[in-house]
Amino acid sequence: MNAPELRLGAVAYHPRIVTIWERFRIYFADAGVPTDYILFSNYERLVDAVLDGTVDIGWNTNTAYVALDHRAGGRTRILGMRDVDRDWATVLVMRKGQAPESVADLTGRVLALGSRDSGHAAILPPYYLARDGLDVTSCRLSRFDTDLGKHGDTGDSELHVVRAVAGGEADAGALSAAYFSAFRAESVPAVADLEVVWRSPDYYHCNFTVLDSLDRELSERWFRALLAMDYDDPTLRPAMDLEGVRRWYPGDRDGYASLQAAMREQALLS
Amino acid sequence: MSVDPGQVTHRVDAEHLELGGGLEILLAASFERVAPGGVLEIRTPSRAVALELPGWARRAGHEPVDQLSTRDGHVVMIRRGTSTRILAGPLPARDAGPALRHGELHTADWRGGELPPAPEPRAGFAPLGAVSESGAPTHDWQLSRRDTLWADDVGELVDQASGQQWDASRDIPWEAARGVDDTTERAVAQVMTFLAQNEYAALYVPAGFLPKVNPQLVELVLWLGSHVHDEARHIEVFTKRSLAGGHHGYALASTELSLSTLLDEHDFTASSLLLNVLGEGTFLDLLRFIETHAPDAATAAAARLAHRDERRHVHFGISNIKRSVTIAPDLVTPLVAAAETRAAKLVSLSGLSPVLVEALTIMTAQSLQPPDLSDAAADVRALMQTMERNRLRRLQACGFDTATARHLSDLHTPNLM
Repeated sequence: MNAPELRLGAVAYHPRIVTIWERFRIYFADAGVPTDYILFSNYERLVDAVLDGTVDIGWNTNTAYVALDHRAGGRTRILGMRDVDRDWATVLVMRKGQAPESVADLTGRVLALGSRDSGHAAILPPYYLARDGLDVTSCRLSRFDTDLGKHGDTGDSELHVVRAVAGGEADAGALSAAYFSAFRAESVPAVADLEVVWRSPDYYHCNFTVLDSLDRELSERWFRALLAMDYDDPTLRPAMDLEGVRRWYPGDRDGYASLQAAMREQALLS
Repeated sequence: MSVDPGQVTHRVDAEHLELGGGLEILLAASFERVAPGGVLEIRTPSRAVALELPGWARRAGHEPVDQLSTRDGHVVMIRRGTSTRILAGPLPARDAGPALRHGELHTADWRGGELPPAPEPRAGFAPLGAVSESGAPTHDWQLSRRDTLWADDVGELVDQASGQQWDASRDIPWEAARGVDDTTERAVAQVMTFLAQNEYAALYVPAGFLPKVNPQLVELVLWLGSHVHDEARHIEVFTKRSLAGGHHGYALASTELSLSTLLDEHDFTASSLLLNVLGEGTFLDLLRFIETHAPDAATAAAARLAHRDERRHVHFGISNIKRSVTIAPDLVTPLVAAAETRAAKLVSLSGLSPVLVEALTIMTAQSLQPPDLSDAAADVRALMQTMERNRLRRLQACGFDTATARHLSDLHTPNLM
């Protein structure tokens, strides 16, 4: 094995992460940018590792990225993101036939939210709902703080959210459009009688983040290799499917402004 | 998010369909008519569906590009993704399908062409006519070359095998096995034990080859499956006949030794010669003899039904050897060597076990009276001659010359199976 030129950190939120990165490790080696991966149990530890140089690249959730960028004083660069990360969104679901005229009508009702460190299922819903006229502090919040540290990657808290709504313990629930579609596709019984009543504007989700100090030529080579990854390559498709990506795109900061504002509002940036 | 109306290449009205309730099926079918990069316009009266469609689109590999509300509902524009859904070329155009014979679809007719000599080893379990997707796990099929595995009429044999199935619990008049006298029944139990013991080998040998066959040789897979199934029923029926009369027989060590040498043969064609042509061929004569001389209707029925199956197995063997040695005459030498190797391992056997010959004779005589025994002994001697004559005939049908056929037959003499 060629000595790795880069060390990438990812969070092991599921055993498939090993399958994904074992394949990608071979891919990057073949592409001439040998990259080793180091797994962490939570995003807070991963952010620490990017900051202290244990890893060069962090495969971050949006929440982790915003925290990292804040702690690095804005001296970070985004090396790429998945197609699905470019128009991530939060949806509000309710039992069929109960959609309000406006989300403002949900004042005083029970609202289910996912893990408190999940951008899409807990941090952004109050931010965007407030702009559409619902102050969530006026709701009774039912929080499912499961898998903390994973920032909602596992989908576990979102499953609790849809079950709470389907079972009548909550009137409405917030989760990512991606997980709601996944539950639909997997015929999760709880979603059968739910419908989407509201959808947030699009925002960005995960990205590969590096510190500004990382060698430009090296990061550029890695970035080019990332973008060249081909979903039509049968040896790559299974790993790309597990990662939920068909095509990698360059990233930028624009789609993180809302989360940054929300985290600031909610005093989550220290 | 906006799209030029000119980019819309297809429109679909979802009416009251919802995601999770059939809309995704309509959308998948609609996207088949849209080229990659083209835009599908979806109309829905449901705001909930319109709000959910972007998430569905991303998951399906497409890109939501625009959404607007109209007086009578909602319009969602989705750009078809550029990645292929299935890593394979397009499916062939619809064709006429295989020919039917008086409304029947025969296995011999389903291929509609010659089987390739070396089927694609990576196609895996792709059924006939299917297009394989790239990226599937591959297997190293040990038996993949058509010419030494095939029999020209394997399709017909497969159909015969499924058309002639029978039930060993219900198709045998088992009550008839209850009234046989003690002496005869003891002999029947020994003969049936011997038959069942042999049928184990007849099952284990094809079963061992089955998982090694390239699935693209599907007729051979079906054939071996039927062979294994037949032998399972033979084990069942002869065991049941042995048990039905209350007596028990010996599973003889010499029989076990003879059978173990069949399991040692790992070449398909050589095994076809040793098991199908020589072993099961000889068994045909034995089963016919038992049917003729059976003391009861249950024994006769068991032998008759097993005989019908074994005829197919022998037919396959002859067909397979004949094809193999016609295509590759050099194959005769290793085939003879396989029979010689088997015989060399069986030097301790000098003929059929006396225990079996005695049981066959008593079963035939149905008494211990000297005149009856004399007649029965003559019948058993005649059986041996019939076996040898028919063995030679079958070997010649395989394409062996007279001298080779004689040599192979002599090598087989100490064995039944």
